[in-house]
Amino acid sequence: MYTLTSSSDFVSDSLLKFVESTGIAGFFTSMGWGSVAMICVAFFLLYLAIRHKFEPLLLFTIAFGMLLTNLPGANLYHTELFADGHVHWDIFVANAGLLDYLYLGVKLGIYPCLIFVGVGAMTDFGPLIANPKSFLLGAAAQIGIFVTFLGAFALGFSPAQAGSIGIIGGADGPTAIYLTSMLAPELLGPIAVAAYSYMALVPVIQPPIMRALTTQKERAIKMRMLRPVSKLERILFPIIIAVIISLLLPSAAPLIGCLMLGNLMKECGVVDRLSKTVQNELMNIVVIFLGLTVGATATAEAFLNFRTLGILVLGVLAFAMGTASGVLLAKLMNLFSKEGNKINPLIGSAGVSAVPMAARVSQTEGVKADPSNYLLMHAMGPNVAGVVGSAVAAGILLSFLG
Amino acid sequence: MNMLIVTGWGWSEMLWVALISICLVFFVLVLLVFIMKLFGFVFTRRAAAAAPAGAPAVVQGQLHEEEIAAIATALKLYRGALHDRESEVLTIMNIKRAYSPWNSKIHSLTQLPDKK
Repeated sequence: MYTLTSSSDFVSDSLLKFVESTGIAGFFTSMGWGSVAMICVAFFLLYLAIRHKFEPLLLFTIAFGMLLTNLPGANLYHTELFADGHVHWDIFVANAGLLDYLYLGVKLGIYPCLIFVGVGAMTDFGPLIANPKSFLLGAAAQIGIFVTFLGAFALGFSPAQAGSIGIIGGADGPTAIYLTSMLAPELLGPIAVAAYSYMALVPVIQPPIMRALTTQKERAIKMRMLRPVSKLERILFPIIIAVIISLLLPSAAPLIGCLMLGNLMKECGVVDRLSKTVQNELMNIVVIFLGLTVGATATAEAFLNFRTLGILVLGVLAFAMGTASGVLLAKLMNLFSKEGNKINPLIGSAGVSAVPMAARVSQTEGVKADPSNYLLMHAMGPNVAGVVGSAVAAGILLSFLG
Repeated sequence: MNMLIVTGWGWSEMLWVALISICLVFFVLVLLVFIMKLFGFVFTRRAAAAAPAGAPAVVQGQLHEEEIAAIATALKLYRGALHDRESEVLTIMNIKRAYSPWNSKIHSLTQLPDKK
């Protein structure tokens, strides 16, 4: 039988337990300030995505994943289940939250590859087939990856972490996520945020570098019209590329294979339903899962440190160096080209993937130099070559550091 | 914070990996340039062989500004003429009068006596 005193104790104990179980109480623990700071970062990213439309499809979902994972007590994501770079299956089912289950798609390298199927189905490789020299510009733009790789090592990151940071320079979100989830999963949150933020900032980062490295006369170069590409060439291209690259670099096979699978679906014309599905429904679903779970890895412990600051600085340097090396190689190629076959160096910057934003930047800068100059289709060549190049670079890094 | 993870890798290993990686990226993509060039050569020759004898060669050149402006204007006019606003005229295609004893004319009139 309860006395009045014991009843009041029971009520106060119950209320205390309830208050302690709320998320609000979590803000007053040792890492509570970190959660508050990360929630503010998530709000800021949501603001950038919604108000300024900075890569909204991914930044929006990443920001929301970041918000969910930093709400104290929600227990949607547990870093300890993925500690030391592998999944702890023995404690997984008993402890996993919703985002832990969804994160398996990132951890096992499934989402980036599925996104590449969709990217392939949406990409027109025609300009690259018509002008294969574009592959060289796509290769040059990858130099930023390896210079940043060395820069990150100089700052004290391990080789695997340095490789993951360097790949930001490839300006290819799925590739960066794929490589980081394999080499340095502990850096996935900051690297994904840096990669997608800088991809959104391509129109801000690239033009000053492009203008600084070219003259007015070079920017006004008009390129020869591309030859028409037959349907058979378009069908054979993805098959040949997938076979050659997979044989030379098996570690790049998942990314290149999926990219070319999507492209073949589009070009062959007999599986329209599949092509439309991977371009729309599948792509959208995977983007939601990928964004949420990558955002969820950005916990206060993983994000709020000097490493993140270093990654953000190195990321922008990687982008800048990729842009510069693409432009400089185009200028070098012009030294050996005949009059009439010259390349407008502005298309070199499009070698840093970021499809099609980087090609649009080349077009915009070209029009500023000469309003009658149309560079978009020419820039699409190096742009899609950059996608292939960054996947190849990721494969090489994976085979050396994985 | 422990950023430096001991891996046994020093600067010489890192420099070699970076150098070899750059060379490999260029090697793979230059190989693709040659393959695609060969590919393009074969296909342009096939197209030339398939063209009827004596037909004038098609020369691809940069479009003139006026031509680009004309194409852009034509596209603009075409898009402008596309049906993007409803006519706001509603046409009633079908009127369905559901039968009910409450709106039945025959039931609302006084029945004449049956003279049979």
